[in-house]
Amino acid sequence: MRMILRRIGLYALTAWVAVTVNFVLPRLMPGNPVQTLIGKLTGQVTPNEIRAIRLSFGMGFHEGLLAQYGTYLNQLAHGNLGISITLGAPVSSILRESVPWTVGLIGVSTVLSFLIGTFSGAILGWTRGSRFDSLIPTATFFQAIPYFFLGTVMLLIFGSNLHWFPVLGAYSANVTPGWNWAFVGSVIRYGELPVISIVLSSVAGWMLGMRNMMITMIGEDFVLMAVAKGLPRRKVIWHAARSAVLPSIANLSLAIGLVVSGALLVELVFNYPGVGDLLLQAVLNEDYPLIQGIFLVITFTVLAANLLADLVYLGLDPRTRSEAAV
Amino acid sequence: MSTSRVDVGDRLERHGATPARESTPSARAFVLEVSDLSVHYGVDANMVRAVHDVTLNVRRSTVLGVAGESGSGKSTLVYALTRLLRAPGVISGGQAILNVSSPDDPTQVTPVNLTTASERELRRVRWSHVSIVLQSALNALNPVRRIGREFDEVLRTHRRSLSRSDRRRRAAELLALVGLEPDRLDRFPHELSGGQRQRTMIALALALDPELVVMDEPTTALDVVTQREIITELAELRSRFGFAMIFITHDLSLLVELADEIVVMYAGSIVERANAGELYAAPRHPYTLGLLESFPPLHGERRELTGIAGSPPDLAAESVGCSFAPRCPFAMDRCRAESPPLAPLGDTGRSVACWLHTEHSVVPVPAPLARRWTVPSGPAAPGVSR
Repeated sequence: MRMILRRIGLYALTAWVAVTVNFVLPRLMPGNPVQTLIGKLTGQVTPNEIRAIRLSFGMGFHEGLLAQYGTYLNQLAHGNLGISITLGAPVSSILRESVPWTVGLIGVSTVLSFLIGTFSGAILGWTRGSRFDSLIPTATFFQAIPYFFLGTVMLLIFGSNLHWFPVLGAYSANVTPGWNWAFVGSVIRYGELPVISIVLSSVAGWMLGMRNMMITMIGEDFVLMAVAKGLPRRKVIWHAARSAVLPSIANLSLAIGLVVSGALLVELVFNYPGVGDLLLQAVLNEDYPLIQGIFLVITFTVLAANLLADLVYLGLDPRTRSEAAV
Repeated sequence: MSTSRVDVGDRLERHGATPARESTPSARAFVLEVSDLSVHYGVDANMVRAVHDVTLNVRRSTVLGVAGESGSGKSTLVYALTRLLRAPGVISGGQAILNVSSPDDPTQVTPVNLTTASERELRRVRWSHVSIVLQSALNALNPVRRIGREFDEVLRTHRRSLSRSDRRRRAAELLALVGLEPDRLDRFPHELSGGQRQRTMIALALALDPELVVMDEPTTALDVVTQREIITELAELRSRFGFAMIFITHDLSLLVELADEIVVMYAGSIVERANAGELYAAPRHPYTLGLLESFPPLHGERRELTGIAGSPPDLAAESVGCSFAPRCPFAMDRCRAESPPLAPLGDTGRSVACWLHTEHSVVPVPAPLARRWTVPSGPAAPGVSR
């Protein structure tokens, strides 16, 4: 228990550092974002607007850096991430619109890819040297193709030509967004091809990782003992797999942390309305509040995922627990 | 301890592995009969002969010691005869027969050929009739499982009639046998000391009241004090429950104390087999002599420790003659040309593979290999198999 609290404390500290860096970075840039913006508007700004812009960056007019920092933290605590320059809407509400799409699509793909890869990896490790081994180069081939190419080709073949899957967008134009079956069904239908493409391009990593750990574990004495004990084969495999899966779990947490940010290519190829697309727009338009907001969300997801992984690991591997107790 | 063997024996017969037959005297006397067992690693050109034509029998309720230095094939031998050999190890000849005795009538035994048995048959005899203790208990226990679960798993697999609380009670009972508190059941392996872990393994090995327990260097990783305690406990447990043991070690002095009969292995073959006391007092093979002279005696006069010069042969290289000849202080021309068979030594009940001891040898047997040995009193010790 003390260990868990200590971990949480550590992550809180890291989060604070991240928030502070997010505050300091724009202020370290030559000039400042506010000036860039005013320059872009070529003089057609009133002092009031300038003040509004400054406030949106968390910079009051005549405040010192410390006071600005205080204001920034205060706004952050209230979920206020400033106003997007290009979209004119609060950053927090923009994020609230796009984050669920990305988390849904990439989250589901990541978990699916993990489950399929780990399961098949365990089997492959157990039956190493059999004809199933040919699955590995196949999977690696799909991982080796650049994603934008794989995605585009799949979109062309299965979407545009064969019409097996709908193309472009996250849901059909004929349904009204909301919690109704038509909409949810449409979202799932439109999500199929992106999910399949992501799983296809990422499953090899899970598979190989699990297979290799499995082969290592099979060499361990406790697996030999499981055989010597006359256990049924599935129990012997389980003995090995239970320990072999630990590194994969750690990797899964890292992958989940990157769910929010790692979707740029997918969203571009499939024209999906997620965070990756938003970030690209924000960077192209030098929309600093939006960039800052997205970075903050990404940082917090990574931290939360890591914390979660740590806690899960404590549960799965008793050895980490005892080291903690010492 | 012996109350729960019934259902396994039943199952064995019901599935009809081999029908119980009118037992031959040898099947009743020996729990394990190994004949001409050979093991190879790898295939074709890269093939290494790890165990070569090994024949040995383990009499019921006795301890067979297997001694030899690293790479002598002693571990490979037991993995082969318990069919735990991993690829690229292959049994290339011979057989190992386990005589499973019926729980109702000890005179009825069912022979199970371990070298040809199917997965199914093997699963039935494993742990119920043959269990195994490995050198490193830390590696042999699943690191992410509590000790209690290891016991529970074995009992649940082989004793289906036991309830959860029965299994727990039995596990605590088994731990008590090796002097551990029942609270250890809720610990993880890394929370126990090395000695406690090895005791746990021994308790686990006895969980199903097996007829044969194979110990692969169980005390090698422990300090000498713990080693001594465990050896004493093992001797007590054996006399109490009557299981037979195959005890593998490189420590011949340990075997002399624990074993009834000892086989000494060198380069994959048995070079000498004798009653433990006899082997210690009057070794016949130069290699055995070398092993005995490499540790100090606790009693009697002090003598110089010599050890054995050279190193074990490369098993991958094809050799002619006795494999020990290059290191043997008494090697003759014949030793380099012909490999000596393991032959009975007169009517002493012991065997040795050495040209020095052939009947018509012209060379006199060197003094250290010709020490006299007289059985202290009574009949020959029970461990002698031939």
